[in-house]
Parts: sequence; C-alpha cells; structure tokens
Amino acid sequence: MTSGLVYYLSGLAILLGINLIAIWGLDLQFGLAGINNFAYIVFQAAGGYAAALFALKPAKAYGGFETYLGGFNLPFPLPLIGAAAVGGLLAVPVGLIAIRRLRADYQAMAMLVLSLIATGLAEAQTGLVNGPTGLALIPRPLVGIVHVTPLGYNWIFLGLTAGCCALAWWVARGISRSPFGRLLRAVRDSESAVAALGRNPDALRMKVLIAGGALAGLSGGLLVEYVTAWGPSSWLYPETFLFFTALIVGGKGNLAGGALGALLVPIGIVEASRHLPAFGYPGMIDSLDWVVIGACLLVFLWFRPNGLLPERKRVFRAGRQQAGGTQVSGAFAQRLTGSR
Amino acid sequence: MTLLLGIVIFGVYSAALLAIGAVGFTLQFGVTNVLNLAFGSILTACIFAEYGLTGHSTNLWIAMAVGAASGAVLSLLIGHVVVGAFLRRGATGFGIAMVTIAISLMVQFGLEAIQGPDILSYSAGSQATMNIGGVVLSSGQLTTIIVAVLAMAAVQVLLRMTKFGLAMRATAADVSLARTCAVSPARTRAVTWLISGALCGICGVLLGIGEGSFSASTGSDFFITLAAAAVLGGIGKPAGAMIGALIIGIVSQAAAAVIAPSYKTIAAWVILIAVLVLRPQGILAEFAADRELVA
Repeated sequence: MTSGLVYYLSGLAILLGINLIAIWGLDLQFGLAGINNFAYIVFQAAGGYAAALFALKPAKAYGGFETYLGGFNLPFPLPLIGAAAVGGLLAVPVGLIAIRRLRADYQAMAMLVLSLIATGLAEAQTGLVNGPTGLALIPRPLVGIVHVTPLGYNWIFLGLTAGCCALAWWVARGISRSPFGRLLRAVRDSESAVAALGRNPDALRMKVLIAGGALAGLSGGLLVEYVTAWGPSSWLYPETFLFFTALIVGGKGNLAGGALGALLVPIGIVEASRHLPAFGYPGMIDSLDWVVIGACLLVFLWFRPNGLLPERKRVFRAGRQQAGGTQVSGAFAQRLTGSR
Repeated sequence: MTLLLGIVIFGVYSAALLAIGAVGFTLQFGVTNVLNLAFGSILTACIFAEYGLTGHSTNLWIAMAVGAASGAVLSLLIGHVVVGAFLRRGATGFGIAMVTIAISLMVQFGLEAIQGPDILSYSAGSQATMNIGGVVLSSGQLTTIIVAVLAMAAVQVLLRMTKFGLAMRATAADVSLARTCAVSPARTRAVTWLISGALCGICGVLLGIGEGSFSASTGSDFFITLAAAAVLGGIGKPAGAMIGALIIGIVSQAAAAVIAPSYKTIAAWVILIAVLVLRPQGILAEFAADRELVA
C-alpha cells in the first residue's frame, strides 16, 4: 500500500471510532431508554466547543483573529475530559426542558427546536464561539510534545480514539447489563409499570441522558481535536439523523448493532460517496448523500424497523433462584423487559 | 413611535404569512393527528416548483395558483400515500415523526442538489408602496395580508358552514362516531391533506417572493416558526393558529427590532419550546394525547 492510502485509511479509522462513541451514546438514550433525542448533535457540538475552548490559548494570543470565551490552554487530556463533562452537564437543562409526559412526537419536536435554537444562538452570539465562522486553529493533543510524521501522528490519534472507544464500550455495556439498564428498558417498554413499582421514570431518563450526553461530548471533543476546526455548519440538525439512521439500520438497543450502523451509514454512505467519479457541481454528491440517508431510513423503517442486528429478546426468569411462586412475577417481568 | 408602529405593521405582515401556513398545518394535524415534520420541505418544494414552472413571473396570483397546486399534490403524496401506508402498518407517534423527518431530508437535500451553488432570487421589480405613518409597506406585502385574511375567512366558512367542514370536524373529534354518521374518514383525511398542502404552497410562494431570494433550507426554518404559531394557538385549532400567528409575528418583529435581527426566529422558537413544555395543549385546544392515530 502506498503511504497516502495508509494515511487515508488511518484517518478513516479515527472517524469510525469517533462515530462509534457518538452512536453508542445515542443508543443509551434512544435504544435503551427510548428517549427521542432529536437534539443529540448539540451534545456532540457542546463537547467539541468545550474541547476547543479548553485547548485554545486566550483569543488575544492569535491577534484577535477570532473571538470566543475562555481559551484556557489546558494540556492533554484535560480538554477531552472537559468535553465529556460539558456534554453530560448539558443534559441537565435539556432534560429539565424536554423530559416530560409529552406525546412522543411532541417531545421529538421540542428536541428538534432546541437543536435549532442552539445553532441560532451560536451564530448570533459572535463573542461566544466566534459566531457563524466558527473556531479554527484548535491545538491537537500532544503536538509539541511528540515529534512524529503526520502518519505517525495519525497512529497516535488512532490509539487515543481506540482507547476512548474502549471506554465508551465499557460504559455502555456496563449500563446495559446492570440492573439500571434493565430499569431503563422497562421505562422504554412500559413506563407506567416502572412508576407503579416505585421508580421515577423521569429521574431514570435524566441519568441516561447525562451518560449518553457525556459520550456525545467525548466524541465531539475527539472530532474537534482531530479536525482542528468547529463551527455551526458542522452540527446542523440533520446530523442528528445521521446517527439515528445508523442506529435504525444497524439495530438499536445493542452495541453490535450500533457498531454495524456506524460502519454502514457515516462511513459506508458518507465516506464512500467521496470516491464516486465526480459529477455535477462540487457539493452535489454531499446533498445527494442526505437523500440516500433519508431513503435508507424510510426503507429500514418499512422493511426492517429493528435493524440488521435486532436487539436480543430478553426474558428475565425470576423463578430461577427461588423455585415456586414466581410464575406470575416472571411473566410480568417478561412483559416489562421483552423487546417489542 | 415609528419603531412601535413598524413593529406592529411588519408584525401583522409576518403574522399574515405565518397564519396561511399555520392554519394549513394545524388543520391537517387536527383531522389526521399526524405531526407532519415534512411540512417545511413541502413549503420549499412549492417555491422551487413555482420558480421553475412559471419562470419566476411577477404575477403574484399565477404564482400562488402554481404554488397551491404543487403543494396540494405533494402533500397528498407524502401525507396520504406514504405516511398513510406507514400508519396502516401500525407505526406510532415516534415512528411517524421519523418517517416525516426522513421524507423532509430527502426533499430538502434533493432540492439542494437541484439548486446547486447558485442563489435563487426573484427579480425585485419596482413595486408600488404604501406609506403608513412613516412605515413603508410594499404592494406585495399588502397582497399577502389580504390573501391571509381571505384564506382565514375561507377556512372558517369551510369548517363552519359546509357539509365537508362538518365531516372534517367530526373526523377530528371522534373517528368512529363520524364513521357511523356516514362520513368517510379516509376521504376526509385525503381532502384535508390537499387543502393543507394548498395553503402550504400559497404560504411558500408568498414567502419566497416576499423575501426576494430562497434556498433549499428556507422552508425548514420557516416551518418551525409557523409551528410555533400553530402550537401556541392550540395544535389542531385553525382559529387558535390565527391568534398564535399574530402573537408570534409581533413578538418576533419586536425581538428583531429591539435585540438584533438574528433573534427574530430565535424568539419564536423559544415561545414554541415554552408552550410545548408548559402548556402543550396551547391556548385554545384540549390535549389530544389519547386520540387514535390511524390512516
């Protein structure tokens, strides 16, 4: 392989890793707990901005080339930790606004509008994150400490991304397998039963919104530190549906489905289309990507709404440990946790 | 004083534009119970259709007729055929939201692919203007206000005084009871999609010509403001949507004049969130949470 191809593939692997983290975060919120978070991209964006502001020097250091709040010039890995923290913290106001007993479509719409408001504010408040132009010159982690070729740096960043992926996988799998994860599936499938058993569904949703938000923030931080620029046009509301499409194509509610979706949709459709022979004007293929994504979403919702790798049906047998007298509760629990 | 008068007059113009779309949106929601997130994309498609078909003629009435026709066809196709098929398969609220979003993405970015890098704009012909106490209103803006008033009156007459309006209200209130009274809910819904699409098309064409230029994302942004008017007025209630449009129109003009022009839409969207969260049933309507969702 030529070194150019190796460089390209390593970059692609980094993007795949970043998308994996984001999609697993959304899977926690949407696949596991059934929250229709149509504002998901805002969490990734907030993580990206946080990483950028923590890593950048104060705006004056660049001769007033861009304006923003902060600029703390923190060393690696603090910007990434900050990104995850900001993503998680953002879930609190979003959750307070949107987690309510609303019709599912109303809730989805409220989330969608939150996403648009966030974009509008980022563009209108130029002093916050440099307005519509966005931030540039964001320092990459460890630059100046390690001295390597661009390809060598890609390998280092790929290692970092892989480490973050492993962390995200560990967190998502841990939540999914824990008693908390079972509760979340129960909230998704039968909210009133959870409430009847003395648990607060809204509090449970809030917790998973925070966990998923932190993963989204982490992925945003990684993305921004890799591409070194971030602006409102990078996180317009349709991007949220890239992740939703990935989950619906791959299969929601399980990590393997999310991973397959990350491989097929953001990499398979969006990246592969860059290698088509050029036609039309520059940018036409990017627009057509979205048409294909929308069509994919419709086709899967029609033919295979549970995705290529559907969530395994879980049957909780309460009778295994205490024989007798648990038949009824076992059946009840099955109704609670069985996937629809 | 001129500032205040300007806010009110341009607020009324914004409200007129919003009301045409909002009434169409809310009428369709009330009768079909489908939250159509593709409404904005249909709106954009109507501007594109009018621009392409009539060669952006300056005759507002021909433009509106073309917009209304294309809107009606698209709305019937998307709402009654595609969404209807998903509903018959048993899709629920979230599934339908996803379906309409997917259609919306396909339409919006399909149009973007057609549009290309050029900015599409209407030639600003010399228009007659009217001066109201220092505030200058163009004849196009005046026509928009007149069309809005006519459309609102027509919708009210349709709903209150015609047999079909009765069928629409019956379908909105209780489908099974309507069916026993020899009303065909399927036919009523199909015609409702047509009417809603026609209003959407008129609104889109007036928006495109009023703004002077447009892009593939014009409708999506405007739709959220229009939805704010519909939700504020009590989603599913045409009369409420008119009041909602008036409030949203004046508030957004005030925000644009007092804070900054970019806050025009943000103010409307914040109102939408507030109403969805605090009082999702809006000003005038009862909450439709338990209503059936069928094709």
